[in-house]
Amino acid sequence: MAKPRVSAPSEQTGNVVRDSALGMVPQTVDPYLAFNKAIWHQGPLSAAEVEMARLRNARKVNCVFCKAVRYDIAIEAGLDESKVEQIDDDFANSELSNREKLLLAYTDFYLNDPTGMSADFKQQMTDEFTAEEIVHLSMAIVLCNCFSRCAVSLGGMPEDDLPRMEITVPE
Amino acid sequence: MSWFSTANSRDDIIAEAPFLAEKFHQFYRSFWQLPMLPVQTLELCRLRIAQLHQCDTEWQREEIALAAILRKDLSQWNKSTNYSEAERACLEFAEVYTMDPQAISDEQADAVKAHYGDAGLVALIEALGMFYGLTRVSQLWELPAN
Repeated sequence: MAKPRVSAPSEQTGNVVRDSALGMVPQTVDPYLAFNKAIWHQGPLSAAEVEMARLRNARKVNCVFCKAVRYDIAIEAGLDESKVEQIDDDFANSELSNREKLLLAYTDFYLNDPTGMSADFKQQMTDEFTAEEIVHLSMAIVLCNCFSRCAVSLGGMPEDDLPRMEITVPE
Repeated sequence: MSWFSTANSRDDIIAEAPFLAEKFHQFYRSFWQLPMLPVQTLELCRLRIAQLHQCDTEWQREEIALAAILRKDLSQWNKSTNYSEAERACLEFAEVYTMDPQAISDEQADAVKAHYGDAGLVALIEALGMFYGLTRVSQLWELPAN
């Protein structure tokens, strides 16, 4: 494992975010936690749907921590490991629902080719998702992508995959 | 107008999701009030990410006013004398971050820390993540340039 580029704050609070390197920028922590809470608890998409986008992002960014995490509210909302296993590059041919495939394909456009959506794909999105849901999905991807890229950029990422870790969304 | 909304601006589209709109704005605004990073440095990095994405919408957005020469020279900042050493360190970091965060070197991170400390590096990385994401959202949503 490479050496982390910064150290976590010396004073520990018991909060996983405040005690990480992010705690060195306290001005952003509370707004981040409030925004993150809204994404996971208050929007029209289920926690299982948000988690699918998060895991798709984690696999593409290759954030070892993000790939290992499962949020408990997503599991409670019905996301099991058999479904998680289908969030791979062949998801279009999986047993996932059409809505789930669209969600993952939209995530892939964000990650790979944000100007590449066809008219037909956009029509499928608006047939399936409301404007509020598209904003919710987009902002969820932005936030997950921001912090998975943050984890990679800060260094210290393990080289090998970690065991699955079920945790609660930090607040 | 976006393909899924009659609204024209990023803020108006985000308002389609009232449960998160104000929380998004509070989080985004927090980056422009940080004691450890000058807002000019952040704006230069945000604009450089827009350039690398060829995103006119984000290039034309103005979070803070910059001297015209700083915008004009930005695509070739490494050949210009108009940027400070600290700004150059952050711009180099932002470019590699945009292409592949796994390619960031310890030397590039250390160069940012030499000017802004550990907290400055963390703040920069967080801010770059939001700039990167919002640039991609502008493209996904097909937001018009001003």
